Amino acid sequence: MIEDLAMHLADLVENSLRAGARHISVALRRQGDWLEMEVGDDGCGVLDHDLPRIVDPFYTTKPRATIGLGLPLLAQTAEETGGTCSIERRGGGGMRVVASWGWAHPDRPPLGDIVGTLVPLIATSPEVEFTVELGDDQGTWRLCTGEVRERLGEIPLTHPDVLRFLEGALREGMDVAGMKEGE
Amino acid sequence: MKLDELRKIRERAEAELRLRGGASRIKIVVGMGTSGIAAGARQTLQAILDEVTRRDLRDVVVTQTGEKGLAAQEPIVEVHEPTRITIYGEVDEGVARRIVAEHVVNGRPLSEHVMESREVQGGQPPH
Repeated sequence: MIEDLAMHLADLVENSLRAGARHISVALRRQGDWLEMEVGDDGCGVLDHDLPRIVDPFYTTKPRATIGLGLPLLAQTAEETGGTCSIERRGGGGMRVVASWGWAHPDRPPLGDIVGTLVPLIATSPEVEFTVELGDDQGTWRLCTGEVRERLGEIPLTHPDVLRFLEGALREGMDVAGMKEGE
Repeated sequence: MKLDELRKIRERAEAELRLRGGASRIKIVVGMGTSGIAAGARQTLQAILDEVTRRDLRDVVVTQTGEKGLAAQEPIVEVHEPTRITIYGEVDEGVARRIVAEHVVNGRPLSEHVMESREVQGGQPPH
């Protein structure tokens, strides 16, 4: 069962990876009374006739799976806090999912371990470029794995020193955005 | 965040590479398809990366892959060495940590969790 927003984020990023995305953008923004999560990709997307059905909990395109609770549950938790969830195809291919929650709403799930969830997905996907944006009304912090890889050459992102760097960098970004784990 | 730190990490890592004379010794691949994730592959992957960091394993690469077609035995973890590939099944967090400690570090596969082990012809480097 998905219990926090980090798990929803993992679910969305894994959808993008399964769709064969080569670029995945992840954003978490605190704007006024709202928390917004956005995941965009350039993967194979969803066919037109499937789009209205992907928030149906009994619909899935995954082989061998019988139900796909990820997106329906995301939409439900967002709407329970007065927020919204939109799922759309991007112009150049791929998908974009944006969900928002009332930050102070008692039914908003906690953030969970956003850093501990994102770093393994980013570090173990050598073919995929990630852009992570964390921000609030004051400003935005950004990490592009392309810039990281450019500086690392052939050294993999799962090198222990790089993993520590990524964790430290993302924690710094969460601080900049005024988001604390467990909040 | 100082991206310049990465240059130093690269210099150190490349010096280590030169010292040990080449590519990474071992690649660990975690099956992160739908059934793997449902069976706990996220925790498995996190545990492996945590051990890699904690033990400072600089000659190991970790990647993920999609469905392995072995849903009943998920989470699946493969350990690729230059001359052998070992496939583990039902790798929960605890088993994942043991695979790193016993197989990757000490070279002793966990026989009770091995589903398949095969020689690799030609000694392909893992990375």
